[in-house]
Amino acid sequence: MPRGLRRFWRSTRTARAISIVSFLVGWQLLIPLLPTALIPTPFEVGEFMWAELRADTLAPETVYQAFATSLRRLVTGFGIALLIGIPIGLLMGLFKRVEEFLHDFVVVGLAMPSLVWALIAAMWFGFVERSSIITVILASVTFVIINVSEGVRAVPKDLLDMGRAYGTSDLHRVRHVVLPSLMPFLFASLRYGLANGWKGLVLAEIYASTSGAGWTIRFWYDARRAQGVIGYALFFMIFALLAERLVFRRLSDRVFRWRPSQDQPPPEAEGSVQVNI
Amino acid sequence: MASIKVQSLRKEFVTSDSTVVALENASFEASGHVFVSIVGPSGCGKSTLLNILSGIETPTSGIAEITEGDKKARNGYVFQAARLLPWRTVMDNLLFVQKDRDAETRERCQRYLEMVDLGHTANKYPGQLSGGMQQRVGIARAFSIEPDVLLMDEPFSHLDAITGRSLRKELHHIWMETRKTVLFVTHDVGEAVELSNRMVIFGQGGRLREDMKIDLPFPRDPADDAVALTKANVLRTFEELDLVAS
Repeated sequence: MPRGLRRFWRSTRTARAISIVSFLVGWQLLIPLLPTALIPTPFEVGEFMWAELRADTLAPETVYQAFATSLRRLVTGFGIALLIGIPIGLLMGLFKRVEEFLHDFVVVGLAMPSLVWALIAAMWFGFVERSSIITVILASVTFVIINVSEGVRAVPKDLLDMGRAYGTSDLHRVRHVVLPSLMPFLFASLRYGLANGWKGLVLAEIYASTSGAGWTIRFWYDARRAQGVIGYALFFMIFALLAERLVFRRLSDRVFRWRPSQDQPPPEAEGSVQVNI
Repeated sequence: MASIKVQSLRKEFVTSDSTVVALENASFEASGHVFVSIVGPSGCGKSTLLNILSGIETPTSGIAEITEGDKKARNGYVFQAARLLPWRTVMDNLLFVQKDRDAETRERCQRYLEMVDLGHTANKYPGQLSGGMQQRVGIARAFSIEPDVLLMDEPFSHLDAITGRSLRKELHHIWMETRKTVLFVTHDVGEAVELSNRMVIFGQGGRLREDMKIDLPFPRDPADDAVALTKANVLRTFEELDLVAS
């Protein structure tokens, strides 16, 4: 085999591409053999997604409107979660009494499936914008609280002492020691809080909303259009990937450029708290 | 001229179930161009003494102060670990402890980095440097504030023997050049004999046991007969004072 071809064959990117292509080809070939009309071929799904991207849709909202609505709710809800979670997390990290007082509630909050928050919000507030936003807050706030409080406890005391020995001011130490050491934890709360908030939001939109991406996937489900449901699921994936590439990775590269090398574990792997349900 | 004054110093740490006395009735004075080593076994309160002198901890009773003329002296502190801010560049680590951030200060910081042969690392992050280089940045940081007194807490104990040796030479050189007062905590008697012209020995329970001069010419080679003999004598004193852990 020529060298170029061998390198192409051995690269991990090639392996990934082959795996995706063979999956799609297998899917396309398998469908006609099945005794059901409810499973679309990849071609049909592609057709649906392309029409959506051209804003040509039977649903009340285009994919752009649906995702814009959901994104607005997510950002509003998570913004409020930060405003509530950061002060509580700071207090929990600083004072043992507060930590003991709130610990069990936070653990329960972390473990609670987002579905429960969505159902409770739907039941109490009904089909209003508030339900979705409150679900996002409930589904994400405990991630903020737990990460911030862990971060406060992990502030390097030896560096604070160093600053004190050199006679630096409190404000100076907060700015150059405390805040930078909190960054990985804030970043972890951003990532896991947003991810869990998003899961909650989609459910809340299904149960208690008349707009947004979650509601639109429900619309296609009610219409028994499988390519709509699968197409939207793929839009969710694309949305998550874009958020990761365009927002998180750039932000992380910028904030953590002091970390020695690229092949180290991701920044938030250190001491962050994650619960997947 | 800077002077260090420690008088009837006592420090106890109170935990929920016990009280540990780290320093007991410690007194000594030092001033001018001297290199004082504080030697003793682990847990004899050596580091606590430096932490009190630098203001990290407060004494239970007694006096511990460093003055320059009639005002409080400015202290440089070199720790056992480098204690650099990993998220700031080497230059910003030096600037972190400065009062001003003007061009003149920057220039001075650069000068002290060059003094420890690390001028080229100003824009690197600590994580990109080896342990020995990080420790040298810590030393440059201590000198960059142009301190009246330099406090050092086992600064070479984490380093390999070769790096430690070259840094000891460097430190001696800088001390001769800047003529600062140095208070150097160590558990390594050889290191103390090599560097200092006075040695204060602490024993268990933070009691000051011995205060001796070391009158040997500099530079001192550890392989030199006189230096080796002095080291052996000090170790014998340790045994007589029953300071060697059994």
